[in-house]
Amino acid sequence: MSGARKFAACCLLSSSILGGCAIEPVKAWERGQLAEPEMAWAVDPGLADYRRHARFSKEAAFGQIGDLGGGCGCN
Amino acid sequence: MAATDGRRALQTLSSAALALPAYAGAPPAGTTLDYHFFHYAENDLPADRVAGSQRGRYDIDGHKLQAETPLGARYGLRADLTVETMSGASPWFVSPGQDGRPVQVMSGASIEDSREDLSVEVTRYDDERTLGLSLGHSQEDDYTATYVGFQYGFEPQGGQLNYGIGLSYSNDELEPTDGGSTQYPDRIIRASKDQLSLQASLTQILSANSLLQWGLSYARNTGYLSDPYKLVYADGNTAPDTRPDERNVGAWYLRWRRYFKPLAGAWHVDYRGTADDWEVQTTTVETHWVQRLAQRWRLSSGLRYYSQSQADFYAPYFEAAPANGLMSSDYRLSPYGAVSAMLQVNYSLQSFELGLGYEYYEADGSLALGNVSVENPGLLSFELINLRVAWRFD
Repeated sequence: MSGARKFAACCLLSSSILGGCAIEPVKAWERGQLAEPEMAWAVDPGLADYRRHARFSKEAAFGQIGDLGGGCGCN
Repeated sequence: MAATDGRRALQTLSSAALALPAYAGAPPAGTTLDYHFFHYAENDLPADRVAGSQRGRYDIDGHKLQAETPLGARYGLRADLTVETMSGASPWFVSPGQDGRPVQVMSGASIEDSREDLSVEVTRYDDERTLGLSLGHSQEDDYTATYVGFQYGFEPQGGQLNYGIGLSYSNDELEPTDGGSTQYPDRIIRASKDQLSLQASLTQILSANSLLQWGLSYARNTGYLSDPYKLVYADGNTAPDTRPDERNVGAWYLRWRRYFKPLAGAWHVDYRGTADDWEVQTTTVETHWVQRLAQRWRLSSGLRYYSQSQADFYAPYFEAAPANGLMSSDYRLSPYGAVSAMLQVNYSLQSFELGLGYEYYEADGSLALGNVSVENPGLLSFELINLRVAWRFD
């Protein structure tokens, strides 16, 4: 499957799933576990930024917002 | 006032739970300073993959200081300063070895450079929305980047969903060392490139202990996208690395978090895929287990897998230069897979947090998802050590 088709399929899948979700609502006072520090998207944001920069410089994948401004990565 | 305080506490709780860049939460509760020291060291290349005696690669020492503070009841400010010093040698070009197998030629002289990067982000928090604006500048001897970003987040009151969109733009100016000199007459003197990125994300609360985030992004790069320091071996000679002046990248990602209360730990799973019009397709899967120990300690261990296909104008070397003139032997555009393992220990004491971490990364053609007939000899392995000290001023 080509990259463009994968991208389109992912868009379609995402919108289908998100549009058709029927998940039991979680009340605000039931969200204590979600607020635990271990649940953060990045437990250590500074380290996550640096790792992303290192990989952006050394791998072909990129396109994240945080990829900008990371310098040349020429070497 | 009590109701307001309660609402603020709830917002803070929700904000912590969904710590998105663009989340309708609340400003930071207090001022924090977060310092990291990084030592990044690339391992020497194996002797049988190198032409000549130069096997050593790149080392980077980095310092990163992040500061975050509330500005009144509705705003938050974050500043981020990174200073790095780099030294070592880097892959220059690939040539055919005696048996036809490609061997890496390294840059002869040791490279010395430094980078300073400063970015500032201001975020406004409303009841259901956040609006963030960021501005940054990165400076090296031979490279300057200026970038701006905009992020918007929306979470309907009491909802289970959070919507985010982002837009960013970067203008990069290159002025390679010795460009146009008698020693390197083919090296460009100066060039520029631009990158525009769009991103959309959606976060779902799946249950009282699990979260899911979907995201899509598109990035368009135009301008000089080659590496001015790299050459290719073609027709028995060397020529400049030459890539298209446009690259469009689509990316999609999924992040899942699940908390296990009896274990006081959380399981993280991240997936990311990209595809671009250079025919490079990538897949990344990363998983972490984050364990709290005796309240003050936190142990995080992770594994990452990465695979990419090659760019359509890549080859280890070229028997004949292609008609369109596009060619690169950069290992970063070659087909390979990579694995890395990470371990991080953190200790919290009142308003201080100390951290120590290690990562090992290794790339290899045999780890790729697709078949790799000829592996690039310059594939990378590195180690990354980090130290962290964070202060919180409530």
